[in-house]
Amino acid sequence: MSRSRLALPLVAALACTPASDSVVAVTFPASAVGSEAELLEAQLDRFTSQHPGVRVVRQRTPDAADQRRQLYVQWLNAGAADPDVLQLDVVWTAEFAAAGWILPLEGLAPDVADFLPETLRANRWRGVLHALPWFVDVGMLFWRTDLVGAAPRSFEALSHEAARAVDDGLVPFGMVWQGARYEGLVTVFLEHLTAFGGAILDERGAVVVDGPPAVRALEAMRAGLDAGAVPRETLSWHEEEVRFAFQNGRAVFMRNWPYAIPLLQDADRSRVAGRFGVAAFPAAGGGRPAAALGGAQLAINARCDQPEAAWRLIEFLTQPEQMAERARVAGQLPARRSLYQGDLLQDALGISGEQLREVIEGAVARPVTPVYTELSERLQVWLHRALSGQAEPAAALASAAQEMRALLERARLAPDGAGDRAGGAS
Amino acid sequence: MCLPAVGSIATVALFPLLWAGWESLHVHDLRMPWLGRPFVGLANYAEAIGDARFRAALAHTAAFAAVSVTLELVLGTLLAVALDGARRGVARTAALLPWAIPTVVAALVWRFLFDGPASAANEVARLLGLSDAPIVWLAEPWLAWVPIVVADVWKTTPFVALLLLAALQNVPAELVEAARSDGAGAWQRFWHVSFPTLRPALLVALLFRALDAFRIFDLVFVLTAGGPGTATEPVALYTFQVLLRDLRFGYGSALSMTIFLATFALAWLYVRLAGSELLERER
Repeated sequence: MSRSRLALPLVAALACTPASDSVVAVTFPASAVGSEAELLEAQLDRFTSQHPGVRVVRQRTPDAADQRRQLYVQWLNAGAADPDVLQLDVVWTAEFAAAGWILPLEGLAPDVADFLPETLRANRWRGVLHALPWFVDVGMLFWRTDLVGAAPRSFEALSHEAARAVDDGLVPFGMVWQGARYEGLVTVFLEHLTAFGGAILDERGAVVVDGPPAVRALEAMRAGLDAGAVPRETLSWHEEEVRFAFQNGRAVFMRNWPYAIPLLQDADRSRVAGRFGVAAFPAAGGGRPAAALGGAQLAINARCDQPEAAWRLIEFLTQPEQMAERARVAGQLPARRSLYQGDLLQDALGISGEQLREVIEGAVARPVTPVYTELSERLQVWLHRALSGQAEPAAALASAAQEMRALLERARLAPDGAGDRAGGAS
Repeated sequence: MCLPAVGSIATVALFPLLWAGWESLHVHDLRMPWLGRPFVGLANYAEAIGDARFRAALAHTAAFAAVSVTLELVLGTLLAVALDGARRGVARTAALLPWAIPTVVAALVWRFLFDGPASAANEVARLLGLSDAPIVWLAEPWLAWVPIVVADVWKTTPFVALLLLAALQNVPAELVEAARSDGAGAWQRFWHVSFPTLRPALLVALLFRALDAFRIFDLVFVLTAGGPGTATEPVALYTFQVLLRDLRFGYGSALSMTIFLATFALAWLYVRLAGSELLERER
């Protein structure tokens, strides 16, 4: 943390030229491994060559999102001025904004017309944009082109196909999704929920996850498990176990993230290379196709010493050229609508642009609230209890909703009679 | 003169304890700075008592400790008696291996043995005639305890066995010989000659293992992560969740203090009841 504090006067002293702006150091704790790390290095080098007055200092942080968040919360709670630029998971923006830890970006007049609308919605707290989307992740339905004629257009068709495949003995598993008791389960539930026309929080921020559409969605998930179309093993599976099941040809449908696409296409490892497609999670009656939104955003520390320089870095990294390069090299989906036209993503990922556009249009963000992590934890426990047969779906959702309402009350974020609530940047 | 010793104990043990106690009397939510850090007295403790999930975690932990410690003591005694008579060296090293393996690694291995339709555990169940269809151990609220208990017993029985083996060495050989020549069977020799010498060591092992079992964390974290739902969640995992994921320092400190007070009371009671025997000097 003290490195940039030393670097600034030191570099200023060494840069003897009377430049208009002395070199400022921007601390950026991005997490990246493998090809993503090399890509980031290349992009940062390009940035420093285009902006000679700014130097970017990389800070090592854990790659796991949970641990990164703990670190951020501890630093920002202590009022640290470093790091200057933060890489946030999509569900953290509201939390950090409400605590006054990140700067609102309206004053810097960002050009947001090209960004995906759902990503902007996830990054707004009280209507003010606090972070720019860097790359997105969306939940996708993977389907076997050799076992099913076309991607199912409705949830009923999906369940029917999955059950039929298991009954006919084609594959041991009909449909697999992440069912362990963690955040992934909430994204799976969110997709089922949106397909049935429900929501977790409504626009006012009130808890509506105990409403009829949600109960129908959870009952549909439980029905799949009870009927055997979805194996009970999924209740302890995360992304990788689900991917292995599909990759080894043991499932007709899989719900997973785009990272799996290049791995499934690797003919040396995957038994389904060239025999799968992607689609949006189909709607049931009363809902719409859904793809849970994930991904990373970039925000500025509210206490940073050089917000201008930090902003220039964020602006650079979110330019179309950088996003397109990230899609080509690291296979991560861009957050700009314009990049989904044309052949860029088809060449980069080997998936038809048509299919990707369809998925992206169904993007749905998780509830935008400062207490999302704890809210989600409550929901995870009850969802898992309902799915593993320890509770009935309606009762489980009612209990979950009750706990979530109590949590919002305690945090003074309940939509009615709010009183003294969190404001914007302090 | 004891100041350095007392001082280091105070710094390492007493200070964090008092700090946690002070924290537990406040609301301190790192993610909600707008709530401040108000003093709320015993409100956190009231919340802990009313928290169904915490009470369930306490029940889980107590039941797990009872079952696994009993199994460990029984199996550990059998193993110690077997090792006492066996050839030295190789047998003891082999018996100690489970204890030497890092807990997380052992937990992963046991997870693989129980996970999936074709797992080793399902094969055993099938051979024993317990079930025809493959069991999904980790998705059933009661069955998920089986891999946890089995892994814990497998891992710590050697520790108990070694403790007891050391005590068994102190059994006077002449007494055993005298008993055998008097016509006493193996069980009678064990119960009347070896066991009295073994008792203090057993009580020490019981205390150690009970306190350890109460603090179980890494096995459960890797095997089931507290699932399904919260059916296998021990107090340590729940406190970790509250403190380090929800970042509720005030409430988490109250939970930690409650666990500390419970274990302290248990240990104190234990030493009161069995202390004379524990501290009995060797003749």
